[in-house]
Amino acid sequence: MGPSNHSLGSLSPLSEEELSEWEEAYAAVEAYLQALRLRNRLLVAELVRGILWRASARRAREPEKPARLLAMEEALSEIANWTQDVLDVPLENRRLAARGRLALLLAGMPDKWQSVFLTPAPWPPAFVDAMRKSYLAAGPTFAALTMVPKPLELNAIGSGAAQWWETMDRRPIVRLMFIGLLILLGATTVWYFFR
Amino acid sequence: MDNYDLNPPDSGKPFFNGYRTALRRTFFFGIVILVNLAASLWLADLFWRMQWQKAHFPLLAVFVLLNGLLTLGSFHAIFGAFDILMGRRRSVRISGLAEGKTAPLEKRHAVVMPVYNEDSTKTCARIEAIYRSIEATGHLESFDFFILSDTRDLDLWVQEETSWTNLCRRLGGFGRIYYRRRKTNENRKAGNIGDFVRTWGGGYEAMLVLDADSLMDGADIVKMARVMEAYPRLGILQTPPKLIRGSSVFTRLQQFAMRLYGPLFIRGLNYWQLAGGSYWGHNALIRLKPFSEFCELPALPGREPFGGRILSHDFVEAALMVAEGWEVWLAWDIEGTYEEAPPTLVDHLIRDRRWMQGNLQHMWLIFARKLPFPTRMHLFMGIMAYLGSPLWFVFLLLSTWIAFDRFSSGLSQLPSPATYVERWFDINGTQQTIILSLAIFALLFLPKILAVTFGIFSPTTRRSFGGILPILIGAMLETIVSMLLAPCIMAAHTLMVLSIILGRAVGWGNQNRETDGTSWGDALRFHAFPTILGILWTAIALHISHVFAAWMAPILLGLILSAPVSVWTSRSRYGKALARHKILATPEEIDPPAVIRLADAAHAAVDPALNAAHAARLGVIAAVVDPYVNGVHVSLLEHSEMSDVAQSLAERCLTLGPTGISKNELSELLYLAPAMLMMHRAVWLRSVEGINSVWTNAVESYRRRLEHSSSPSEPA
Repeated sequence: MGPSNHSLGSLSPLSEEELSEWEEAYAAVEAYLQALRLRNRLLVAELVRGILWRASARRAREPEKPARLLAMEEALSEIANWTQDVLDVPLENRRLAARGRLALLLAGMPDKWQSVFLTPAPWPPAFVDAMRKSYLAAGPTFAALTMVPKPLELNAIGSGAAQWWETMDRRPIVRLMFIGLLILLGATTVWYFFR
Repeated sequence: MDNYDLNPPDSGKPFFNGYRTALRRTFFFGIVILVNLAASLWLADLFWRMQWQKAHFPLLAVFVLLNGLLTLGSFHAIFGAFDILMGRRRSVRISGLAEGKTAPLEKRHAVVMPVYNEDSTKTCARIEAIYRSIEATGHLESFDFFILSDTRDLDLWVQEETSWTNLCRRLGGFGRIYYRRRKTNENRKAGNIGDFVRTWGGGYEAMLVLDADSLMDGADIVKMARVMEAYPRLGILQTPPKLIRGSSVFTRLQQFAMRLYGPLFIRGLNYWQLAGGSYWGHNALIRLKPFSEFCELPALPGREPFGGRILSHDFVEAALMVAEGWEVWLAWDIEGTYEEAPPTLVDHLIRDRRWMQGNLQHMWLIFARKLPFPTRMHLFMGIMAYLGSPLWFVFLLLSTWIAFDRFSSGLSQLPSPATYVERWFDINGTQQTIILSLAIFALLFLPKILAVTFGIFSPTTRRSFGGILPILIGAMLETIVSMLLAPCIMAAHTLMVLSIILGRAVGWGNQNRETDGTSWGDALRFHAFPTILGILWTAIALHISHVFAAWMAPILLGLILSAPVSVWTSRSRYGKALARHKILATPEEIDPPAVIRLADAAHAAVDPALNAAHAARLGVIAAVVDPYVNGVHVSLLEHSEMSDVAQSLAERCLTLGPTGISKNELSELLYLAPAMLMMHRAVWLRSVEGINSVWTNAVESYRRRLEHSSSPSEPA
């Protein structure tokens, strides 16, 4: 790998294993940019090339790390740092990386601002404004009302029935006896009317 | 009767004169009781003429109840027709009350749509149509919209988030359209609405409650809000929703019947209920302060199915509101109010099982103190809508027994004594039977005849249904099929009542709103009871006599043909064929109103840039893998720190995939922002060996776009 101003003649040969490893890294970075809905092939190719160049530079210092890991770390950190600069807020934890991606989406990134993606400042004011205004709120400011259930006021028949019903719920034997009584009553009625 | 002095909600005067209200109710129910009494005495006289048997007593008792219900229903239509003919339109005509008012609304109102495992694209399309429709009136500033999710399906949850975000992006709806999902769906839909009221209710004067399949016209919503602002005693303003978008024969039959016959019943209902109306759970505007104060539902004595949490909350909420002196009106003249119906008989019966349990729970409320008369009537009618079926079943059993008994004993040959009817009217037993039968048939079919007559003679209605012929053919087809369906529904309801009595409570299922139809296997399994019952009953009826079998034929045919009729009516292709010939067509189908056209064209919730419905990365997978879906999902979560337990759970999910951990674990994981972020990094950083193939396949799916690109903005 090499920087973008390297001539093709200066490329050093890579082993089959290295080629395969960098192919996987290339695919991952390219897929991520695709996932961000960057649709311009030239732009994607340029960005992938730049990111892989940095990853290859790191590889020289960190040979134990796989190429894909290095390349994707570079890609994610590049995007995070860039959105931090655009949003002008510190990305203190990973959650703000999500905030950055959300800002890109809500600013209309997939359709409008491909050309400024990952470019250094200055950015178009409309783009910066759209990025900084973007947020999600699940609801407006709380405006609470209280809802307290009032017990059901039953009349004498209802209260009696409720007590009986709850007794049957508490004591299965009473319930069984009651069901038995009902069946007996039903059978007697049927016998009386239809014998 | 109404007692508005119990707790005067405001200084405003009651809209309806108390004396007139009492007079109307006495007149209406007086006539119903008189007609029922006359028919019952006529039957008692007939039994006397036939020589009383013991079985005649329970038969007469059941007849009194059944005929009472039939008379009550029929007279709703008759009074509705009378009300229309007399032009007494003052009974809450919302359009009239809001007429000429164009000033901005003074208060803020919320449009709330509770959803439970629904297709978010469709629910958002309805919100979009309502939003655009209100926007067209110029009063959008007075409304906020809330999608209140109780969705348990985790993939659908993520799709709801993306659909809502897309909707807001396209409509510029951030800060006006909100989405909230409850972590636990305590107390189901009532709890969902209650949670909204407790959290945000104080910011609004009223909330328009919708169902996931509801659609309402913006101008009508604004009218309702105006009326709510102008009449401070008004607690609930219920609209009568029309059924739309029916594609199967079953749904088309329902929507045609409701559209043609419905207005008569609605007007009849409004004739007597006036300020003591009911709430049907959706397509209604509710004043928030009294709702929060009085409508938190009490628990019923005992456990489900009869006790515990109230399932059918709407009737009870209206009852509590009316009991406290607030008025509940039926906005019969609001045209732009729509909903959809279950597509098949099977789906209809599954929904009925839920509604039946809820309505039978209302038996406790019949014994509640303070409830005014109209409220008790609504509760009673709700209960009897389901208990009517087992009563009818018992009536038919008793009739069969008596026929069998008379056949085997030869009692019918005995000379009959002179009865009052014979002495006064000088008619024989056969004539007396025929007159009673004709009266029953008149009560059964008069509403349909009246509605068809109105449809034919009213030029506007006639044109809106496509002409005289479509009305006549539709009404005849609807009558025949509903006669075939009725016995099957009776048998199913009877079984349901039995299962509830045996203590089997129902769960909370989402409603099937679309289908390709019921399969023969499902239909035979589902309708096995009525089919077998019909075959056995036919054999018994034929054994008794051919005349009796002929009398019973409409019932027996309906039972035996349950499965074929269920299958036939479930088919969309037959429904579409009928639609092509304008048969069972409704005015909304022939000339769709603006809000339906808006909903048909609505697509703001669908955007390839933010998509959690892609086959290769559906729902939860998209929430982990897709940078934007992950960004949206995490942004909606509360702040939390990564614990060791969460780390370990996330690692398991990465290794085993989302199906490798339990649904509860996955749900917990989806609530942990740090874990979701960590997983997002992991699926992109780690190579194939380190994680489950479901993640790597999802990552790969983006890359395929480059190799097989067809769409400029969407990875294929």
